Amino acid sequence: MSQTIIDVRNICKTFKIHKRGTGFKGAVSNVFHPRYEYKKAVNDISFNIREGEMVGFIGPNGAGKSTTVKMLSGILYPDSGSINVAGYIPHRQRKQYVANIGVVFGQKSQISWDLSPLDSYELIRHIYKIPPTLYKQNLERFTELLDMGGFINQPVRQLSLGQRMRADIAASLLHSPKIVFFDEPTIGIDVVGKDKIRKFIKTLNQTDNITMIFTTHDMQDIEKTCDRLIIIDDGKKLYDGSLEGVKRNYVSSRIIEVELEDSHTEFDIPNVTISDANNSKMKKIISFDAEKVSINYVMSELINNHSVRDISIKEPEIDAIIRDIYEGRIVMR
Amino acid sequence: MKDTISLFFAYAKLGLKTRFQYKVDTIVTSFAVFFRESAGIIAMYLALLKFDTINNWNIDELIFLFSLIFITYGIFIVFFMALRDFSDWIKHGDFDRVMLRPRGLLTQLLLCGADWMAAFGHGTLGVLLFLFSANRVGIEWNFATALYYIVIVISGVLIQGAIFLIFSSISIYVVETQSLKELFYWNMRKFAIYPLSIYNKFIQSILIFVIPFAFVNYFPAQFFLRKDDMSAYPEFFMYLSPIVGTVLYVIAYAFWKFSLRYYKSTGN
Repeated sequence: MSQTIIDVRNICKTFKIHKRGTGFKGAVSNVFHPRYEYKKAVNDISFNIREGEMVGFIGPNGAGKSTTVKMLSGILYPDSGSINVAGYIPHRQRKQYVANIGVVFGQKSQISWDLSPLDSYELIRHIYKIPPTLYKQNLERFTELLDMGGFINQPVRQLSLGQRMRADIAASLLHSPKIVFFDEPTIGIDVVGKDKIRKFIKTLNQTDNITMIFTTHDMQDIEKTCDRLIIIDDGKKLYDGSLEGVKRNYVSSRIIEVELEDSHTEFDIPNVTISDANNSKMKKIISFDAEKVSINYVMSELINNHSVRDISIKEPEIDAIIRDIYEGRIVMR
Repeated sequence: MKDTISLFFAYAKLGLKTRFQYKVDTIVTSFAVFFRESAGIIAMYLALLKFDTINNWNIDELIFLFSLIFITYGIFIVFFMALRDFSDWIKHGDFDRVMLRPRGLLTQLLLCGADWMAAFGHGTLGVLLFLFSANRVGIEWNFATALYYIVIVISGVLIQGAIFLIFSSISIYVVETQSLKELFYWNMRKFAIYPLSIYNKFIQSILIFVIPFAFVNYFPAQFFLRKDDMSAYPEFFMYLSPIVGTVLYVIAYAFWKFSLRYYKSTGN
């Protein structure tokens, strides 16, 4: 078992939000009696991450993901609680600490728009004081792995979003960080581009034993890269465990798709929902809660009472599960 | 130190390379700054043809006074551009990036953001005005006076830098500080073009005690010119600029350090 590298205990962060009145009257009274609202962006979150782990952070917009990542990377002070990453307290020992981490913001590039990625890398080499041999070695390796040979000398403004993102990821890794935070690294990128990025991240995690934290809205990102998932909503941690665990523990709904010989069949099975499949009248979709109705029972009802041409059992998509968790339809146990 | 200088040149190289992606714009900007500022001087020159002197300061002396504003601003803008535009750095999340790099925050801000074109425009104008006036106002140049001139230029840069460091610290709390800068910097700078003694007591007090622009050009210039209107102020004010610059900068730096704790990064 490898060592704990990130230790977060009971962190909270509250933001004071200026509440603005509407209309002219509101605007005037605002100046004289400003009203504030307090929003708990992060509310008592704790977790541990071991060295070399790859953890996905998901949650709806405004759930507190970015705030958590910003506290972990030393940008924000937590109001209370403690954070220890690789032996450092990020917000207190910022300068020494950030030499050990890399941060990739999908929405905020760190390479200069008007220059080539290579120009920006040169500056990064200076800022991080990267030894020449390490710099050369990393640059060659990432150029190859991320397939950047074709555009590393072109101005960034001429690159596609996918290329720019790859160049950005390389920029965050040149100093060989121990921990890398990815904040929505695949946002707005096409399928092929996403795939390249995921493969690279996965490879790097395995070969270099870099600890990675990955925030995203794209469940595919998580499915293809992360072994562990932390779900955050409304500033609280809802789930922490494997991706399989989400499906197993929190989802008991099952879907059976049947194709029938006769389209005018009437069903009479209690506690199930039946709907037409959109592509064929002969197909029906039967969904039910496996805790209330056993699969066995539904299956035997179908086969005994109807002439079935084809049948398949499906697990719900992870996207749908997560949506249900956000919307409170699945209660965490 | 050596490392800091090398980092400054790495930033400068990149900054200039960026600017020269747009060659025409760069050249035009430099000239635009130069001519825009020159227009102010031409207006003053034409006015003086009518009045001859302002409070007993002749045109050469006024130009000497004026040149200090331009020279200090030309140097100021090489180091303090990031602080001048700090609201934007916060708004666009660029300050987050600065915080993620293993260097001092202020070190990065001071080294990274030179506005080379404005520096070139203001600097060239300042040097030209200085060369034009320095001999005609009867300064006796020797080692001591030359050294003191360098000291007051550095002090002038430091005073203006400290003012912007305070604005930047305020930006941490309220983000936008455009009107503050307009009111307390750009307006004060306009006052500082003319000798301090022409203003009423209220404006004089502001320029001496609140936004000490008087120590950027008026009092240091008096060291060289010794005009009669200096009798209205304590004589040691002529030597006070380095102290004002240092003390103001230390205060601004303490306020900055204190304010960083309250930095709220902008959301995505």
